[in-house]
Amino acid sequence: MENYLDNPASLKIDLMLRGIKMEDPVVKAWACGCSGIDMLLPQDTLVNIPCMEEFTRNSPYTVRRTGERYFITDGKSEVEVKLVERPAFYSRKTSSGVQFSEIASVHGSYTVITPSPRCDFFNRSIECRYCAGNFDIRGASDIVYTVEDILETVEAVLKEKASEVIYLSIGFSQGDDGGIEFLKPYIQAIKKSFNCLVAVEALPPRENRWIDETYALGADSVLYNLEIFDKELFELICPGRASLIGRKRYLEALAYAAKVFPNGTVASHLIVGLEPPGSTCMGIDCFTDMGVVPILPIYRPSAGRALRIEPLTTEIILPVYKHLYRAVKKSGINLSWVRDISMVTTPAEIRGLVDEGKGDSLMESFYKSRLGLKAAWGLSTLRRKLRVVSNNDSDPSKH
Amino acid sequence: MTLQIDTRPIWLILAIKSLRPIFFLALTSLFLYFLWMPAPEGLSVEGQRAIAVFLLCLVLWISNAIPLAITGILAIVLVPILGVLSNKVTYSLFGNEAVFFILGAFILAGAVMHSGISNRLALYILDRFGGSPRGLLLTVFLLAAALSFIMSEHAVAAMLFPIVIEISKSLGLRPGKSNYGKLLFFSMAWGCIIGGVATFLGGARVPLAVGILKETTGSDIGFLDYSIAVFPLVVILLFAGYMLLTRIFPIDITEVGGAHGVLKKRLKALGKLSFKEYAVGAVLAVTVCAWVGLGEKFGLAAIALASVVALFVFRLVRWKDIEEYVNWGIILMYGGAIVLGSALDKSGAAQWLVGMVIGDFASEPWAALALFSFLSILLTAAMSNAAVIAVLLPVTIGMAQTLSIDPVMLTYAIAVPAGLDFMFPMGTPAIAIAASSNYITVRESAKGGFVMFVTAWVVFNLVAAFWWPLIGMGYK
Repeated sequence: MENYLDNPASLKIDLMLRGIKMEDPVVKAWACGCSGIDMLLPQDTLVNIPCMEEFTRNSPYTVRRTGERYFITDGKSEVEVKLVERPAFYSRKTSSGVQFSEIASVHGSYTVITPSPRCDFFNRSIECRYCAGNFDIRGASDIVYTVEDILETVEAVLKEKASEVIYLSIGFSQGDDGGIEFLKPYIQAIKKSFNCLVAVEALPPRENRWIDETYALGADSVLYNLEIFDKELFELICPGRASLIGRKRYLEALAYAAKVFPNGTVASHLIVGLEPPGSTCMGIDCFTDMGVVPILPIYRPSAGRALRIEPLTTEIILPVYKHLYRAVKKSGINLSWVRDISMVTTPAEIRGLVDEGKGDSLMESFYKSRLGLKAAWGLSTLRRKLRVVSNNDSDPSKH
Repeated sequence: MTLQIDTRPIWLILAIKSLRPIFFLALTSLFLYFLWMPAPEGLSVEGQRAIAVFLLCLVLWISNAIPLAITGILAIVLVPILGVLSNKVTYSLFGNEAVFFILGAFILAGAVMHSGISNRLALYILDRFGGSPRGLLLTVFLLAAALSFIMSEHAVAAMLFPIVIEISKSLGLRPGKSNYGKLLFFSMAWGCIIGGVATFLGGARVPLAVGILKETTGSDIGFLDYSIAVFPLVVILLFAGYMLLTRIFPIDITEVGGAHGVLKKRLKALGKLSFKEYAVGAVLAVTVCAWVGLGEKFGLAAIALASVVALFVFRLVRWKDIEEYVNWGIILMYGGAIVLGSALDKSGAAQWLVGMVIGDFASEPWAALALFSFLSILLTAAMSNAAVIAVLLPVTIGMAQTLSIDPVMLTYAIAVPAGLDFMFPMGTPAIAIAASSNYITVRESAKGGFVMFVTAWVVFNLVAAFWWPLIGMGYK
């Protein structure tokens, strides 16, 4: 087995693939029964490591505790890590009695909020065969959180400085808008009440005007997750997305969104491990040529899911991530937006694997600072003010 | 509300956006320069200030940088602040009869449209007289003109537009391709334009012009006098317009059976003539008769407002119903224009301007009439009709004394051509409405409209030279 402990990016990938054994009772208690535990690797690389799934039993990694210090070890060598504290607001409730942890899930710089966990693909039995990805959508559930619930959640997230970006996600629902009409009151309310950045994960709408609307509403970033680039595998594994939206529309919508939204803020997931690495690399090239950031979550077989594919190894996956970094750099895509996410390895984190010794650029470091975040919000708001033109200003006295 | 995302480079958008503040900064600087520079010989300080305000408003009206009404308000604000006229005089000018006549006309037109009688009349006439392609075309053309005698031309265009669209669809006319489709929409638009200059009611510009005339000289133009003066112009232009249109776009269909189906269906959907339609029609008929017979005695505004009161007394209309038809922007703009005209006149600025700028070009009365009518018809291609009146009329009236021309004639020279833009959508709502159908293009409109532009100007001057002396008007 290769030693990945020297490089936080490769270690993150390996840990996400193999998971970690939890032997120390203090660490076990820290994990608090969750399927994954957030840790901070060297160079502030945040990772969510599976610790409860079955496959983690064969992991070479364990967490060792020495006093207040924690180390990940593979038996031969070790690196010091930090356990990421579970957000305090998780244990609290909204004024209507909903547990905050049911609504929001912190993944580093992003907090994922799902106003409704409904996904109609499940009701039609055409759900994605690997579902869930990095958040859980329960198809049959009709729960819809109120705008007030969501606002209280966002307030709790921001007060605790748990994340900088609010990531609103929605499953499939019938309609031409891709879910934006549903998310509209939430986006508007968040933007009205807080100075924070909002990312929206939705389905590609049938018409581009909805993408304009998404931007005009206040979304700073948008994700239309294709998940699988290979046409046949896409149809096989994501039957709902393939039949009701279509791969072509995904690509069209992403290309259009990349023209509307700022550089580096339009992204799409390509799950590594659900298709041959060469196909993922083709997807990366296609996306980066359009100005879209490919985000590569790693496929992890979950208990109870129909799909059982043998995961790829880190040796096979690493070149894909290196290709991702080179493609993103070649296309001049801004890396400041998609960063510090515990559930995926971002292009910025791969830098250390390709350009060894190179750290964050000056701009990236700036945007990680508090001042940088305020600047990002301000610039994003200004850009929207400049770009959005609403044609409702007519002069009644003109004639 | 429709949204658009401007995807041009940010630096370009920023540059374009910064043009507005730069424009206002430059305009303010120039305005202040005009205010503070030494007054030229023969011009009083008040006159100089009035001209500065006039130039400021001129640029704002032409550029449309702020709504026309707001420019009007700016004039009302600046004139007393700069001491050109006192506060009391300035604000009292807003109580001008023309402003109230326009208000009354808006409410009357609103009541007519709301009652549905205008729509019913249009459908009935089209169904009754449009038996052949030529007959239907002529009916649309003349109906648009006739309705514009009693209603604002753009209200007529807006009312006829859905009917003409349905007729075009029922006849299977292809947008952008069908000659007959183009003919129908041009007929609607040109009919409205030509009919709109026939009476005081075709648009608010004539009452505004008369208001400025009355305020500055005390002279007046009667409802009937005006219509008699422009009658030959309207007839000749209707004839010329129809001939020109059918030459440019030869009729390319042989029958219009499908259109009648649509018209009958629409008429049927309206049901029988309601009491409200009868009553509103009667009030309008009585009002027009009163304008013709009693206008001089009681004033047009008083008659219009009395009719408005009658509408409400008999509960023929509710305030909520007519609110959307009252264009307060136009009313505010006219108030400002009247103040500006008065300021230029009373400060002596108008006379000074005429002597300095226009005097040499218009040394003879006929030349002055030709020049001002040309300026008016030219400007209205780029500006709204009302703005042309506001810009040109105060200066023009100022010239009357110098050239020994009846100011009433010069008022006609500005007010009538200001309504005759056949070329571009920005100057005339009727063209804009027709162009929105996609059956006609702005290019086609400019092409045909240019010939009508020249025709209208020549005919107007011929009417002035040969018809007006016959009815007791003419060069002094």
